[in-house]
Amino acid sequence: MSEEEKEIVVKIKRFSKEKGSWWQEYKLKVDRFTQMTEVLRRIKTEQDPTLAYRASCHMAVCGSCGMKINGEPRLACKTLALDMVRKYGKNEITIEPMDFFPVIKDLVVDWTDFYNRMFKVKPRLYPSKEVLEGKAEHRLKPEDQRELWKFEQCIWCGLCVSACPSVKNDPEFLGPAAHAKGYRFLADPRDTIFDERLKILIDSAWRCTYCYQCFNVCPRDIEPVTTIKKTRAYTKFLSEKTPLALTGEKHTEAIVKSIEESGKIEEARVYISTYGLLTTITDMIYAMQNGKLRYALVTQKKVKDMEQIRKIMGE
Amino acid sequence: MEKLSYDAIVIGGGLAGLMAAHEIAVSGYKVAVISKVFPTRSHSSSAEGGIAAYIEGNSDPNDNPDYMTYDTIKGGDFLVDQDAAELLSQKSGEIVRIMESWGTLFNRQPDGRIAVRYFGGQTYPRTRFVGDKTGMALLHTLFQRVSGLDIDFYNEWFALDLIRDDKRVVGVVAMEMKSMTPVFFKARAIVMATGGMGMLYAHSTNAYINTGDGYAIALRAGAALKDPEFVQFHPTALYPSDILISEAARGEGAILINNKGERFMARYAPRKLDLAPRDIASRAIITEIREGRGFPGGYVGLDLRHLGEDYIKERLALAYEAAKNFAGVDATQEPIPVRPAQHYYMGGIDVDITGQNPDLIGLFAAGEVACVSVHGANRLGSNSLLETLVFGRETGRAVAKFLSEHKEEDSNSLDEEAEKVVDDAYKFVKSESGVHFGEILNKLRNVMWEKVGIFRDEDGMKDALSQIIELRKMTSSMYVMDKSIYYNTEFFNALELRNMLDLAIVIARTALERKESRGAHYRTDYPERDDKNWLKHTIAYLKGETVEITYKPVRITRWKPEPRVY
Repeated sequence: MSEEEKEIVVKIKRFSKEKGSWWQEYKLKVDRFTQMTEVLRRIKTEQDPTLAYRASCHMAVCGSCGMKINGEPRLACKTLALDMVRKYGKNEITIEPMDFFPVIKDLVVDWTDFYNRMFKVKPRLYPSKEVLEGKAEHRLKPEDQRELWKFEQCIWCGLCVSACPSVKNDPEFLGPAAHAKGYRFLADPRDTIFDERLKILIDSAWRCTYCYQCFNVCPRDIEPVTTIKKTRAYTKFLSEKTPLALTGEKHTEAIVKSIEESGKIEEARVYISTYGLLTTITDMIYAMQNGKLRYALVTQKKVKDMEQIRKIMGE
Repeated sequence: MEKLSYDAIVIGGGLAGLMAAHEIAVSGYKVAVISKVFPTRSHSSSAEGGIAAYIEGNSDPNDNPDYMTYDTIKGGDFLVDQDAAELLSQKSGEIVRIMESWGTLFNRQPDGRIAVRYFGGQTYPRTRFVGDKTGMALLHTLFQRVSGLDIDFYNEWFALDLIRDDKRVVGVVAMEMKSMTPVFFKARAIVMATGGMGMLYAHSTNAYINTGDGYAIALRAGAALKDPEFVQFHPTALYPSDILISEAARGEGAILINNKGERFMARYAPRKLDLAPRDIASRAIITEIREGRGFPGGYVGLDLRHLGEDYIKERLALAYEAAKNFAGVDATQEPIPVRPAQHYYMGGIDVDITGQNPDLIGLFAAGEVACVSVHGANRLGSNSLLETLVFGRETGRAVAKFLSEHKEEDSNSLDEEAEKVVDDAYKFVKSESGVHFGEILNKLRNVMWEKVGIFRDEDGMKDALSQIIELRKMTSSMYVMDKSIYYNTEFFNALELRNMLDLAIVIARTALERKESRGAHYRTDYPERDDKNWLKHTIAYLKGETVEITYKPVRITRWKPEPRVY
């Protein structure tokens, strides 16, 4: 294995309460194995000891080193310097703290809000009394273990929350990481507080916009958005539904009905079924004022072979 | 300085610390956990392959706890306290059951019971696992569990030093990293659970945070370290980033090959082959490389190809990912480049099987920072996760008992001592010029790797010792450039280096003294084990620049020392 070294420029967005914010440049040589955590460590021990960042395991299991590298929310340890150079076609790499979180110093951000979100979903198993006292044991099907383990691998790094637009705009939305954690216990056959979990999760689940940013940035590929989709499917089990959950449920039903009848999603009909006639008329007036009404009135032809559609839906 | 009062303080938020805190809290005592990182970022999360356990009704029908004890004792080259190893084996099934009941998603057998696989040095397969991220799974389960209890967490707080009177600990001074505010935490019992010290070595699989803080804090408080010369080197760290490739790979059937394609372990451990204990495999790899049978750059191959793609991706996902992401190697197509790196520290704060230290009343330790003597001269794979939980629990229970028997509050005012601890720490910041911590740190890591590493001899270690003493002198002219009073990581790195140097001198000194080869301590000038003179524990104190060494017998119950052949 040859280890060709290449000099790169690293531009770091720094911040301290005393000095405010500034960009600082460092030059160093890296090879094809050099992780960004190693880049930071070498800057700190060889060039500038004042640089502040978090890093611990250097193998993508502790979740300490989330930051923005060339604008992408990434774990520094899971990012090789030369991969960034290749991807962006220049030997300058920028590093900034994660978005959304308040910055304490340089690349170190305040995670308090993130942790509070995680604790809101009661992130622990509540097993039966018998099991807890050692009088019975859990069995778990290998396929259930595999399914749950996928979502259990959240390392609390915060990258998905930093990339999530809904979290920024909707204070009621728990955020992607908390949903992944919440779903992991909601779906665990060993858990005993199903109803309480529904109350915590369902309303928030309908606040996600399915933008898939969390899916893109998660360094453990746990797909938080998938857990939100799966959580929504449990809405029918919630006894006292919030207005948002009710709307969500109606929306889902309207889509199913539309496809069953025409093989297509007829936006205008789905809208009326979801929000009711009165809201639809108000919203149409608003759309008219903005010159957007023609989009709402597009009519769609029925799909020819409806039998096949029904067959697929049935399956 | 602000003062806070607790019944007990646990320093460190990994598996051992959290388990101890759990036991103290459920016994009704007021306990706080102080950790320099948020608990799930502790190094326990990096443990990969599994946790060893004999589970009645779910183990090999021929197996029993005594075989497990024997394996541990032999793995540790008979420097194991056998009563401690027996306790470890006997409690293993129970501890796995508890973690399962709290939600750990152990891999399963088709009938829904917990699955099992082989690890190095095991007569029968005993390793229970969650893919190859077992530590991460256990740590998250335990942290989530204790986060529902009445425990105060001081996360990202840095412990400076213990405060003691004539014979007992009375508290600890710690500093919030964000605000740099020191607080004197008063407590009748302190549990050290700060983990290992891999950063002392140039090559280590350990997290950056493993700077051996707990060892040094205990030494400065006057407590002894037991068997500090025993440092484990893991044979298969990924080249060149030193990310651990779990022993699970070999447990699942991977083999080590040299540049001739030979399965060279056949020459070093004819029976156990690639599943020989870590010390033996590490020396074999270094020998192959030194004798010209390694690959250019200095590594050997870990061959998984015959296991098949599906199997590799499910059971050895982390190894596969790491090789792909960090070495650009597709393990289903070519061998993974590996070499040994520091991995674990068998030595630690001297404690008995209840986690109690004999030097200082009220001082306890658990996990890697402790030396209960279950690992002896070499730890077996998947015994460390087990130790953290079993002895974390034993220690927590012992603390609860201790608290019920020692109700008296400390009457002495030790505020001046607490102030002095903070002043000592701040002297690096007050200096205006000198050397940066990084310069000393990098020198220390190289000296330890080259001279107090896998192969040791008298000349090398004498040289190391004098270099360490020189580096310790340099710290008097160390200074911290960053004068910021918020999250000043340079300040804390300087303090970590102070801790590392206090530990390094003890390791080098005691390694020089032990004139035999045993387990991970291998001396080219004394290549044989010498039970007549050296079947005993080293006990080391640090008095200024002097390391004072005494010895203590190994507790042998049923298994007489025998040659260690694999």
